[in-house]
Amino acid sequence: MKNWLTLSALLIGSSFLGVAVAGPSNNSLIVGTSQEPPNINDPWRTNNLAVATEITWYMEAHLLGKDDSGDLYPEIATRVPTLANGDYKIVKDAKGNVVRNSVTFSIRKDAKWSDGTPITPKDFQFWLKVQQDDRVPVPTREPWDKAKITVQDADTFTVTFDPPYLFADQITSSVGLNPAPSAAMEKAWNAFDAATKNLDPKTGAKQITDEWNKFIAQFTTSRGLPKVVSGPFKPSSWRAGNSLVLTRNPNYWLTPKGGADKYLQTVQYRFIADTNTLKVNILSGQLDALSYVGLTFDQAIEAQRSERGKYKTYFVPGATWEHVDIANAGPRAQSLGLTDKRVRQALLYSIDRDALVKALFQGKQPVSNTWVSPIGKLYKKDAKDYNYDPAKAKALFAAAGWKPGPDGILTKDGKKMSLNFTTTAGNKLRERVQQILQAQWKQVGVDVNIQNFPSTVVFSGDFAPRSAEGKWDLFMYAWSNDPSVERGDLWASQNIPSKDNAYAGQNYPNFDNADYDKLWNEAKTEFDLGARVKLFDKMQAIWTDEVPSLPLYFRANPYTKVPGLVNYTYTAYSLYPSWNAAAMGWASRGAAELNTQK
Amino acid sequence: MFNYALRRILQMIPLLLVISFVIFALTALQPGDPVDQLILGNSQITPEDVARLRAAYGLDQPIVVRYFFWLTHAFQGDFGWSRTFSAPAAAYVFQERLPNTLMLTLPALVLSTLIAVPLGIFSAVRQYSVLDYVLTFFSFVSFSAPIFWIGAMALWLFAIYLPQVTGGLISLPPGGLGSPDLAPDAGLWATFIDKLHYLILPLSILMLREIAVILRFLRASMLEVLNQDFVRTARAKGLPSRRVIYRHALRNAVLPIVTLLGLSIPGLFGGAVLTETVFSWPGMGRVIVEALTSKDFNVVMVALTFISLLTVVFQLLTDLAYATVDPRIRYS
Repeated sequence: MKNWLTLSALLIGSSFLGVAVAGPSNNSLIVGTSQEPPNINDPWRTNNLAVATEITWYMEAHLLGKDDSGDLYPEIATRVPTLANGDYKIVKDAKGNVVRNSVTFSIRKDAKWSDGTPITPKDFQFWLKVQQDDRVPVPTREPWDKAKITVQDADTFTVTFDPPYLFADQITSSVGLNPAPSAAMEKAWNAFDAATKNLDPKTGAKQITDEWNKFIAQFTTSRGLPKVVSGPFKPSSWRAGNSLVLTRNPNYWLTPKGGADKYLQTVQYRFIADTNTLKVNILSGQLDALSYVGLTFDQAIEAQRSERGKYKTYFVPGATWEHVDIANAGPRAQSLGLTDKRVRQALLYSIDRDALVKALFQGKQPVSNTWVSPIGKLYKKDAKDYNYDPAKAKALFAAAGWKPGPDGILTKDGKKMSLNFTTTAGNKLRERVQQILQAQWKQVGVDVNIQNFPSTVVFSGDFAPRSAEGKWDLFMYAWSNDPSVERGDLWASQNIPSKDNAYAGQNYPNFDNADYDKLWNEAKTEFDLGARVKLFDKMQAIWTDEVPSLPLYFRANPYTKVPGLVNYTYTAYSLYPSWNAAAMGWASRGAAELNTQK
Repeated sequence: MFNYALRRILQMIPLLLVISFVIFALTALQPGDPVDQLILGNSQITPEDVARLRAAYGLDQPIVVRYFFWLTHAFQGDFGWSRTFSAPAAAYVFQERLPNTLMLTLPALVLSTLIAVPLGIFSAVRQYSVLDYVLTFFSFVSFSAPIFWIGAMALWLFAIYLPQVTGGLISLPPGGLGSPDLAPDAGLWATFIDKLHYLILPLSILMLREIAVILRFLRASMLEVLNQDFVRTARAKGLPSRRVIYRHALRNAVLPIVTLLGLSIPGLFGGAVLTETVFSWPGMGRVIVEALTSKDFNVVMVALTFISLLTVVFQLLTDLAYATVDPRIRYS
């Protein structure tokens, strides 16, 4: 009995001893994230998750990378293709229209896969072949469905787009052409090909997708870790639901200043689904940094208050746009006056967005006036700013025929302006914004009923795309886009969801403007940036006048990192801290600071 | 008895078919599908892409057709692919998640029973004693305080406050399954200690609730039995108190506990959702929640059908156990 007691005491005692934490002592990094990706390093990005892309970038090199300023730099390629150096070519017809464009890449002689074999044009051809294959469930094939690769020599190849692709000169990971290890994947791909080639693509679609999943899972999952990678780190272990460990790839070619041994040798991702638990992990010093997918804004503000020099909290201006869509079409929108632009303008004049961002976000999330990111080249700096002006709002309502009734609520033809306002239930920040807006609208006589549902409900085909059927009048949510490949697609009438297109478009407010459409069509094929900026100026002028949606603010993405960790930075251009994985390290271990968080 | 058991087993087949269809229909009838999530982050997706993806995931078929497709494959041992976890649904649930849940919930049930039964007997036999009041207070607090709150407080205490005041001498990890930097060849003892480190908080929190439940049930049941005539008769016969309590009273009082344990075993496999969430323990409870929110139908089907199967099986076993524990019950 005594022995048992001693053993139990020893066990419990040893359990209470402190947990080893990584960091400068063993030149490693522990990153916490609230989401675990289903797979990583999938060159075809079939899951479309931010956390998957962030982790993939530790393991995946690209022809070109994009830094925190939005400037391109060569990684696998020897140089950035430009019109000036002749690697980027535009072919025009007699009328001056661009009919085709192409971009030529030369692969660096020292660019190798982690197994030591060279990266060749064949790896990019393999990627394109799979991307174009009808059996593969990639989210979208555009712009690769019409692209062609021509090999010039052992290291050089040309990608031709016919019809032309607007962003052909910016082939970074966010638009595709990711290197795929053809030698490592070929055998399994051939097996997939053999298993599915006799299946009917329509009736056997699900079977084909299941076979594809089995193929890709051999190279991308916790049970089938990526075997051959191109980036600065390679995966060494993945315990599903718990952690993923990456170790430095000795065959990676871009050496940071002073030598790779002065920089991180391992990176561990810890998957902590509950964000409160994630916060406890930061406070207790278990994590060196947070991933792009980490704390909520509120939690980050709380974490900032408890820093005590142990870590620092950053709020990175992002490209995620929070806004309130207004139903612009349908019988209900008609009866509530929402199809009248004066009513929409008045709704925007009635809310004090400056006060809102100051009160809730300490001004860290500045007010936006259009959907284009303020850091993007296409942003219209002098876009119409609907400064808070309740008097102007009341005048506009009155001009549209809406007069206050006995209870102060605006009324027209016996109908009260009573709007249903929806957002994602459970998102505390949005719910608070919603309550502030509801109170401000009440001041001008607009009655707002809050009707929130879980995100799985509001973003389903049964809800978000059906504003014309009266499912919602006001709908608050966010869109995210890389500001350097902004195309204005969201507002094209072609993208209005309807029964005919199985509610597939993403123009949820049903904004339909012929002038906007014309400019959008021109901008899609305008290859001169200066001219495209002018077209976008006009598009934003129309948009801000029509107000199909109420712009609120661009979200700032919070994260934390401990002092001494260098080059763990990102912006709305570079998207994730992992863009600079090779140069991440500890100052105390000799890592040189090349980038500071903007 | 044998005929009774056989009849019950045969009745399970249609029952499970109905249950599996209800689960399938309820999951499929939720608003939204996996393709909606792909649309959301990608403004370049065209209507054609959406139609192609829905067909690729088999979402363009009516629910009944999809259910029969699932059922025929399930009978062949193929429970489909998990989109969320990129693995065969059944293999993922049973190999990756179920062992974690059992690692947490089985010790919780066994230890809780071992602790709660003597405490429950003591509490009933010494009714209104100081310890009875203490135990009653403890069980009410454990029963009423929300797990996510107790969990958060425990995390704060053992992962933040105590490490600070003791200079790291007393420290427990704030969630997770184990140290990611533990070498794969660390050896059994090191792995066991590491696991224990991570297990200690979630296990304790889970046990608090279990102990409170068993203790309350047993105390109430014992009190009822202790006041019955046959116990008084046993005492009047001059039997020793220990023999009266353990041989006469406990055997009768334990019936509700058999029911309680029988029905809580399927719950063990379902996992402790809140505890798993607060302590980042990748078990069955979390997998069901994650699969439901991401519309991963195949995982939902595997996990919920399995728990339904366990529920009906353990109901039968509980009924049979009744007959063993209580000689008055006979099935024919």
